[in-house]
Amino acid sequence: MYNFIQGPLVSIAFVIFILGLIFQFFQFFRLTKKKEWIYPPVDVKREKKTAGKWITFCLASLNGTLWKTDPLVTIVTSVFHVFLILVPVFLLGHNILLNQSWGFSLWSLPESMTDILTGVVLICVAFFLGRRLFLSRVRVITSLYDYVVLLIALAPFLTGYFAYHQWFHYDTVMTVHILAGEVMLITIPFTKLGHMLFFFLYRFFIGNEYSFARGERTW
Amino acid sequence: MENRRMSDQGAKPVDTKQIKEMLDRKEGKMKRYLSHCAHCSLCAESCFLYMAHHKDPQYMPSYKAISSLGKLYKKKGKVDRKLLTEMKGIVWRNCVLCGRCYCPIGIHIPSMIAFARSVLRSQDVYPQLDEVSSESWL
Repeated sequence: MYNFIQGPLVSIAFVIFILGLIFQFFQFFRLTKKKEWIYPPVDVKREKKTAGKWITFCLASLNGTLWKTDPLVTIVTSVFHVFLILVPVFLLGHNILLNQSWGFSLWSLPESMTDILTGVVLICVAFFLGRRLFLSRVRVITSLYDYVVLLIALAPFLTGYFAYHQWFHYDTVMTVHILAGEVMLITIPFTKLGHMLFFFLYRFFIGNEYSFARGERTW
Repeated sequence: MENRRMSDQGAKPVDTKQIKEMLDRKEGKMKRYLSHCAHCSLCAESCFLYMAHHKDPQYMPSYKAISSLGKLYKKKGKVDRKLLTEMKGIVWRNCVLCGRCYCPIGIHIPSMIAFARSVLRSQDVYPQLDEVSSESWL
């Protein structure tokens, strides 16, 4: 069982993750088409901005965003999402395994730093859980599925933290850690976690007022 | 001229097949939107009705979409008139489709509520002028 989780299942998880994302990506383009009209009109020439102007523009734009209405959640969710990607990708242990398996590796952050960053991710998850449990506006739209998704995101980090500190039975914790990571990879393309990909598709490709770029596609 | 008052609306049986067909037609877009909603509630403050009703969660854009269109998809269109009538208040009274709701993921919430209205309208469930003025349907 341990051999299967540590061996073939890792490859299976990565294949499902990558093919799933590619499938969803192409499905999105199949379901959407280029708009016949574009708002604002195409012929409006955009003002050329210098770096300074861009920074001022971005800072001024923040006033109309969640940064103003909910700064705490904005910070926590931004930190959470950045570290959620950063920590596993640049973790020393993962890169050593990558090197052993496929002969290449990425940069690695110092272990003490990734340990702290993992702790930060766990605190962020605790914050989200707290919101789900105690904030009526979140609770009213929360179902069991939301807790399951939160658990899927939490499990690899919690077990990784346990494994690094060698708490509980190390082999069992490591097995659960690998399994948790595989479950996360497999579920990303097909569940709510798909917003990892669709955030970019919705915000950059679909034409609407809140598009980051000039979205030119419509459903 | 046909006088479609609320009492008459209740007389016609719900055409679940027609609802299912409508839902299927827009499944690709709507199910993705519903599925990718992180249930974070960050859209709340962008709704002026939510703010005007002392931050009552039932005015939250995501709540309105989930409890109307979300329910229709969850039940695969097999809904009764009672449920459709409940949704009527959600999609017409609690939302004016001003299009100001903001989702950080980029989900276009107004299109979901507009579609829920279309489904309800196909079953003759919509507010009447005299109902709106008397607010008896609320």
